[in-house]
Amino acid sequence: MTTITATDRPPASALGRILNVARLHVVTPWTAIGLPWLILGVILLGNLGIWALILANVAEEDKAKVSEGFGYSGSSMFIFVYMMVVAVQAISVTFPFALGYGVTRRDYYLGTGVTFIGLAAMYSTGLTILAALEEATNGWGLNGSMFSTFYYGEAWYERLFIFFAAFLFFFSVGMAAASIWVRWKANGLVAFFIGLGVLILGGGALITYTASWVAVGTFFANAGLVGSFAWSLVISAIAAVGGFFVLRRATPKG
Amino acid sequence: MTAVIEVAGLTKRFGGVTAVDDATFRVEENKIYGLLGRNGAGKTTIMQLLTGQDFATSGSIEVFGQSPVENASVLQRVSFIKESQRYPDDFRAKHVFTSAPWFFSHWDQDFADQLIADFRVPVNRRIKKMSRGQVSAIGVIVGLASRAPLTFFDEPYLGLDAVARQIFYDRLLADYAEHPRTVVLSTHLIDEVSNLLEHVLVIDEGRIIIDEDAETLRGSATNVAGTRSAVDQFVGSREVLHRDSIGGLATATVLGLTAGERADAVSAGLELAPVSLQQLIIRRTNTSEKEFEVSA
Repeated sequence: MTTITATDRPPASALGRILNVARLHVVTPWTAIGLPWLILGVILLGNLGIWALILANVAEEDKAKVSEGFGYSGSSMFIFVYMMVVAVQAISVTFPFALGYGVTRRDYYLGTGVTFIGLAAMYSTGLTILAALEEATNGWGLNGSMFSTFYYGEAWYERLFIFFAAFLFFFSVGMAAASIWVRWKANGLVAFFIGLGVLILGGGALITYTASWVAVGTFFANAGLVGSFAWSLVISAIAAVGGFFVLRRATPKG
Repeated sequence: MTAVIEVAGLTKRFGGVTAVDDATFRVEENKIYGLLGRNGAGKTTIMQLLTGQDFATSGSIEVFGQSPVENASVLQRVSFIKESQRYPDDFRAKHVFTSAPWFFSHWDQDFADQLIADFRVPVNRRIKKMSRGQVSAIGVIVGLASRAPLTFFDEPYLGLDAVARQIFYDRLLADYAEHPRTVVLSTHLIDEVSNLLEHVLVIDEGRIIIDEDAETLRGSATNVAGTRSAVDQFVGSREVLHRDSIGGLATATVLGLTAGERADAVSAGLELAPVSLQQLIIRRTNTSEKEFEVSA
């Protein structure tokens, strides 16, 4: 419990209001911070067990070959999708709640964005440290790889950027989807995904029709891993800004 | 008198339904208002419009002299407690009481602690697992302890028992006396809050049908009881809101009696009795008492 007394404080400033919303999101830190790390830890333990089991059952001369396969792990990917779910859930329940506290939609959205950027920074830093640890310990002594897999980049700063960009992507898409949900409920999401599907199919058809798949491949090859992830920032920005305009006219229901 | 809220020609349509229909009224500073009406009359919609949670179809709203929509300087001075308030799933009551002070600069923690004890709110229990009454108590506590200059209570006490409701009325009145503020209370339990209210707004099918000082309203009608012939004779061509008769006895609810008329009635052997606010509103909204009680 806080120890605020009866003395009136001045009303919060614009920045103060935004930070209050961010605090509101983490007043119960379990869902967004505690549980994901716990799941990640459990997955790591599970992986360690599996790697140890496999290595115990192959002949000495095959070990190097087998552990090469450990490099294709996607076991840390859940955390990105999980963060999208966190974004959707956080907005759908705290939006009507925060408006009851007299928060404007603008302050709510900005405060939520600050929260997600903070979470993205925390998780990408944590994962980068884990990747460094993984490398330093020669894959936890088992030549395993969960955080330092090749598609997260090579150098630590590449990884940090890729993790951060990926988190921003999933958070902002989650924010946009949640805003659509808050404003138009299920009908809005259905329409949104149909629209998205048409767009993706249409894009694919256009590329096929103009025989440009090679050009697309070359584009990403030229951009490189880091460059390709940098392009995701464009989509993230569009989703985040779009979500803002959707939420701006949303009303809390039920 | 300073107006805290000024509404002119306010209309809100949802598709083909007109929830608020050309409403015009003002709410003056440091008074307790009752916003009364039946289910679906438009009470909640009006409050949502006044707090910027919903958008008007037409008409103007000024709260503290400005539009409340997306206006932080207005909304920081407003607390809106509604019966249907949802809380985040993983919230316990203590999380509400920890975070509420961040948003209400007049929050009084000692008062909140006292109310938590009064209403016996289990602060460590998940809100999801609380009874309806306990959830309502959380809202009531936030609404009172936030001491917002403009406080809306929309059916705040669903599921609260009679003792808890009385605590709410008592604390509200006591705290209001010490820290004057504007309160708008919507409820079905008109008689229970009747002594609390200083001004009454009655809404029916989206229209404001009564906008009157509570005292004036209470004195605006009288029950006249006696033998059927005496009542009939006295009533004559006066406007009668309601009449009942059993055998040779009759009761009529008559509007606006002067002192002279009251004396006449008494000398004619009739009994005069005040009309309760609830009865009066039922009579004035032309709904049967039964219908109103069912909706309560």
